[in-house]
Amino acid sequence: MMRPDPDVALDLHDIQGNIIKAYNREEYVTARYVLYEVKDGAAGRAFLGKLLPYVTTAAPWSRESETRDANPKPDVTLNIGFTFEGLEAMELPSASLLTFPEEFVSGMLARREILGDDGKSAPEHWDPVWRKAIHMLVFLNGPGRPHEAVLAEHYDKLAALAAEFEPSVVCLDGHRGADGTSLAYQGASALYDKNGGITSKEHFGYSDGISNPFFKGTGANPNNVVGGGKVTRESSDTVEGWEPLETGEFLLGYKDEAYEYPEAPKPPLLGRNGTYMVFRKLHENVGSFEDYLEEAGREFDGGKEALAAKFVGRWRNGAPLATFPTAEAADGVAKRWNDAYIRLEKAKAGSDEAELRAASEQYAAVRRELVAFDYDKDLAGGRCPVGAHVRRVNPRGSLEFGRTGAFATRGALTNRRRILRRGLPYGATPEPKSDGGEHGNIVMMMGASIRRQFEFVQQQWINYGNDFKLGNDKDPLLGNHSDGPDSIDGRMTIESEPGSHKAPFLCSGIPRFVETRGGGYFFIPSMTALRMISDAIVDPT
Amino acid sequence: MPNESGRAYGLTALCPIKLSDAKHSYASLTRAYLQQLQESSSDDKSPMARVPNTYLCRFFVLNNVNYQGKPAVLDSLKSPYLVFIGELFGDRDTYLRGMWDHAEAFIRQAWQHCVGFDGVDSRDYFASYIERCQVETTLYFNGSTDDPLAEQLKALYMKQEFSKFAFASSGKSPHELQRDFKEFVERTRPSDLTGPTWRPGAATLANVVVDDGNEKR
Repeated sequence: MMRPDPDVALDLHDIQGNIIKAYNREEYVTARYVLYEVKDGAAGRAFLGKLLPYVTTAAPWSRESETRDANPKPDVTLNIGFTFEGLEAMELPSASLLTFPEEFVSGMLARREILGDDGKSAPEHWDPVWRKAIHMLVFLNGPGRPHEAVLAEHYDKLAALAAEFEPSVVCLDGHRGADGTSLAYQGASALYDKNGGITSKEHFGYSDGISNPFFKGTGANPNNVVGGGKVTRESSDTVEGWEPLETGEFLLGYKDEAYEYPEAPKPPLLGRNGTYMVFRKLHENVGSFEDYLEEAGREFDGGKEALAAKFVGRWRNGAPLATFPTAEAADGVAKRWNDAYIRLEKAKAGSDEAELRAASEQYAAVRRELVAFDYDKDLAGGRCPVGAHVRRVNPRGSLEFGRTGAFATRGALTNRRRILRRGLPYGATPEPKSDGGEHGNIVMMMGASIRRQFEFVQQQWINYGNDFKLGNDKDPLLGNHSDGPDSIDGRMTIESEPGSHKAPFLCSGIPRFVETRGGGYFFIPSMTALRMISDAIVDPT
Repeated sequence: MPNESGRAYGLTALCPIKLSDAKHSYASLTRAYLQQLQESSSDDKSPMARVPNTYLCRFFVLNNVNYQGKPAVLDSLKSPYLVFIGELFGDRDTYLRGMWDHAEAFIRQAWQHCVGFDGVDSRDYFASYIERCQVETTLYFNGSTDDPLAEQLKALYMKQEFSKFAFASSGKSPHELQRDFKEFVERTRPSDLTGPTWRPGAATLANVVVDDGNEKR
């Protein structure tokens, strides 16, 4: 028997904050994404040097009551990424540049065929800025209503700082804003409910970002491994049913799920504690989506909402179909979740430590109901269709197809495809619902290998169905279905419960609900690497 | 014999760096200090160039040990380390005391985030601190002779100067040669280790010669 691995404690001060923290869960629910072209390396490095003191790290924030040795929350977070061209522009030595992986060197635009960015998702439809020479991404996250002005103030400071380096560093414009305007930044914000409360919804109405990978070394509550780690052979509603993923799946310089270090640039200090990030601006065709649900929902048992749940594998309120197959059960857990959230918010504002603990425990318990599941009791897809969005992008243990022991571990085909997801919606949901306008999701996906994780999931699991024994079927929500009346690929089979003697429900003519409007591949260096790039002391020899 | 090769000494010390707290990564601060040192000082301005009998030395931050891949077992250090590797002439403690005397400010900066360094405030304490952090240098290979540094530097200087002399003297008559050689010996003072000689720490031929403390280009 092998000795268990020693605990890895990550040096969170050396890691950019967005990799470990989901900012929108920390009340930073607005964002601006700013792109730069670096025309002169020395100026680019000096600009980076000026930004360094403001970069937000992953170190835990202290609570307001703690003052000594505190690491207070900033008003606004700031993080930095570089494209490959950006690293070239910053004049990294060529011996280092040559060690970056091919897909990162090529960039998203060149990889569009693999990603299925065709038709309305083709680059000619992207925001003009994403077709320019993008070198550097700086993104700010700030508070929501009623303090949105804080983000704008910090953005102005960033703009003033960058202006000192014009024209050697150019802030790129060409982000499409509302009403056809062209902006120098991409804005984003959480959506609000009728009462002005912050929600985790995206424009289709689904609660988003519920489940994220849980990996070693972050210092997070170990109980959160449930639903976020990798599946073991124990029951998925227990802590024993899960293990943390290896750090090297998400950060360079650590052991990964293949028992080795992920491919990383040289020298090791350039890669260590860094990662890759895929940025996607995804437009949501809210009108087509509602129309389709309306029409197909008339025929579907359970109606429109049930069909919406079958598409995604979660009800729009976030409850997973695998555990909550009926609308009543889903509403029940959603209400418990909402109540637990309100209690927790109240407890956070108060000073009763015991109440805060109890509220946190209650919240964690409900959250667990939303994530602690697999598809073992639902192999046929009677509850959650095999082709549903969440089952595709994170199949958990289901790729063993019930043949226990088919692989050395239950998650063998899944554990190397996990992705950290961050992001926020942009634009306002159009009323009445329509496709036109500027609204969608800014999605940022991080991992140690863009090719093995994001590109594989996009190509094989979203735009293809063979791994799920679904032939050419695509992800109903995100798939790049060909549009038009003659289209044959916008299909989905919604399986019925075995033994129910009901025929499966066949959806066809699904249009493309989500269109790519821009994006890029970025390297998110560690704090050490940012400093070394800025000081021009990256030395691969 | 570990650590020693004749009169040369191979010193390896791993000094634990404090773990990160709420505000700082001490490993990162230490690395940043060492890296800016490398940037801001040419070789002969290295604070270690002032330390007597330093053949060669190296500092780096060791965050962790490398994982060799399956089936190797993953090992992890309990803390990051400031690694100090010195190749030096003579005995360890004399060297370390001299290091404190000639580079105290540097030592205080470089070691400030190390565990147990807070009370180190004298040459003796520093020597015993490093002794506690020392690991054996096994299979020590010394890349030069084991003579005192001053002798080695003088030898380097003489070699350089004599080769210049040889080229400059090509084709001269015996009389001229004898005259010039006498002048060469007077100028270079082969048996005087204090100067002129090669500057400690100098890695290039520019600004290399020290003559009784007066610099010559």
